[in-house]
Amino acid sequence: MWLTSKIKQLLMVMKPGVVTLNYPHERPPVPANLRGQPVFDHQKCIGCGGCSDHCPARCILVRDVCQELRVMLYDGSRCTYCGRCADICPEQAITMSNSFEIACDQKEDITTRMELFMMTCQRCGRCYEMEKTNAIDRINLKGFRYDNLEQRALIRKTSETFDPTLLQQSDQYQRPSTKE
Amino acid sequence: MSKRKELEAKLIARLRDDVVCVEKTDPRTIFIDVKRAGIREASKIITNAGARYLCSVGYDNIERDGTLGMIHTFALDDSDQFVCCRTSAPENDAIIESITPDLPSAGWSEREVTDLLGLRFAGHPKPKKLVLADDWPDGIYPLRKDVPHNLVPKGAEDVAYELDEAPPGTKIVPVGPFHPSLHEPEHFAVYVDGETIKGCDYRGFMTHRGIEKLCTTQISYNEVPFIAERICGICGSVHATAFSQAVESAAGLVIPRRAEFIRTMMLEFERIHSNLLWLGVAGHLIGFDTVFMQAWRVREQIMWLCERLTGNRKTYGMILVGGVRRDITPEIADDIRRVMKTIEDDLAIIHRAIEKDTSIHKRTKGVGTITKQQALDWSLVGPVARARGVDIDARRDHPYAAYDEMKFEVPVLDSCDVWATLVIRVIETFEAIKIVRQCLEKMPGGEFFVEMKDSIPAQRHAITVVEAPRGESVHYVITGEDNRPERWRVRAPTFPNLQAVPLMLLDEQFGDFPIIMGSIDPCFSCTDRVAVVDLQTGQASSISKAELDALSRQQQARHASLKG
Repeated sequence: MWLTSKIKQLLMVMKPGVVTLNYPHERPPVPANLRGQPVFDHQKCIGCGGCSDHCPARCILVRDVCQELRVMLYDGSRCTYCGRCADICPEQAITMSNSFEIACDQKEDITTRMELFMMTCQRCGRCYEMEKTNAIDRINLKGFRYDNLEQRALIRKTSETFDPTLLQQSDQYQRPSTKE
Repeated sequence: MSKRKELEAKLIARLRDDVVCVEKTDPRTIFIDVKRAGIREASKIITNAGARYLCSVGYDNIERDGTLGMIHTFALDDSDQFVCCRTSAPENDAIIESITPDLPSAGWSEREVTDLLGLRFAGHPKPKKLVLADDWPDGIYPLRKDVPHNLVPKGAEDVAYELDEAPPGTKIVPVGPFHPSLHEPEHFAVYVDGETIKGCDYRGFMTHRGIEKLCTTQISYNEVPFIAERICGICGSVHATAFSQAVESAAGLVIPRRAEFIRTMMLEFERIHSNLLWLGVAGHLIGFDTVFMQAWRVREQIMWLCERLTGNRKTYGMILVGGVRRDITPEIADDIRRVMKTIEDDLAIIHRAIEKDTSIHKRTKGVGTITKQQALDWSLVGPVARARGVDIDARRDHPYAAYDEMKFEVPVLDSCDVWATLVIRVIETFEAIKIVRQCLEKMPGGEFFVEMKDSIPAQRHAITVVEAPRGESVHYVITGEDNRPERWRVRAPTFPNLQAVPLMLLDEQFGDFPIIMGSIDPCFSCTDRVAVVDLQTGQASSISKAELDALSRQQQARHASLKG
């Protein structure tokens, strides 16, 4: 019994032969709809912040530095490549590319920063709500947003009109702690 | 008389005024509210009615009525019903009678609630810390609503977990947290007499990532499936499906039939890849690496198929509340048929080559034995239970998605050892291939996603089970305000199975520890559900604990400064 099993095992191993690809000299086929590194199109982006609101990893941050200027920051080091941002974008400004070899030494190499000039009416978030009909996909964080980009912290406090004090508070953001 | 009426009559006869109400929100679920004095008696009555204990859920209700809630959940497998027994205790007198003396598998659930919510259990046989770190300060209960999700508590110095006392005449062999036979960080103290294992204590939950807290404070309903998927690297779709089903059930949303078929297919793909993965790992653990290499070669086909279908090898991201994200096109359906054929043929070759191998028999037959009664007492699930003669399978007993239309066998063996587990998982892979084929044949046309017209009302409870490759996963959802769940409890299959490992190890040889442990296909991270930090411990020369702590902290500070 033992011997017949070993002969069968030998045949099982010999038939397929070597199957390991000689990566990186030999590359595996990349499927067309792979969810790779997301690419942001600043021409199409209206700055609604829907991607940020619905990012499970909360790696897309939105910061209004003044009435007209909104900074959007995508931190690739925390991204899980789920593609939820691309789904939720009402303008198809985000595409999941098939680029996956994105390991790097510098975090900045996979960080995308967009500075968008905003028209006042577009920042209310209403335009976004009209775009999405699914009740649970609507935007939760409406109005002006003040995320802390240095600490990569999403701040869940928004205001209807631009509020410099909230912006200042966001700069002083610290994680709650019971340490002295 | 219906099961609900029968249960209600029994409960009222025995408990009288302690029963507040019995309600049935959908055909499957019975909610029983009892006063806290009657909770142990109620759970006895429910288990005596033939129910199987699933898990317990604790929740914070302080803002509403100043109480902490506790729910014990049970399943009636023969009539496809769930029984949820709810009770509560005021915050200032947070103590409830423990049900662990009657149901040993409730032990961990209760210890978890004590750690995370501060609800204590009178009469608990082992009221030690389970989930929280040893240096977590007293009086901070992370799942309470007033504790922020990103709190950095002040750690205590020089506290260590106190292991159970070793039986007389035995020596302790520490296994883990980092050990070649464990693929994830957990600590076992194995008490040995010579080579024979006489007991073991477990200290785990070292990868607790606080997923439940995160999902109930930070993100909205439709992002949870993506985080749920990351509870486990193997059975991701299982958790995503279970969560989505629970929310859909709470919201009363009916999803398109086509979406249910696609979900079924994703779950079966996962089962095929998981069983092949486990077969490989089991081979590896007994030192038979040919099986490991070949099982994983076959498995690669399904990984590539899923990459073409969903855009990723794992963490498919297919499931959303309301349906699925991508459709199965005729081209991909042909692709699936081709891959299923390859896997079926290749697995049959492996199966024939190993089924009569005496070296595998010697390492697995009669190893890790526990009796059927013990398996029932500890409410084991999945292949581990089915290898011990317990005939349960959530796909058949509590059909979800499109399983009601599928025809498949549930293999049950009674040799009660690791070998039976191995055979069952190979047979289940073939059954999974059959199910995928039936899905392709019977799949109706139409939509694969349905949108929600209104937001989901708060304070609705729902429970679902989904059969993962390694056993059944239970998800309990309480809906909340702000477009996110108020409480979400995940019970992964390893949670009950791991509790029975000390029993499986008893009187076995220490050399069999890896395969016995491996036989339950432990997924510590999904049990912990709660980032892995890479720490260099420095040189191997002797180093005191304080020095090690200081070194680790330096390292962490360096990491933090690099980040900033």
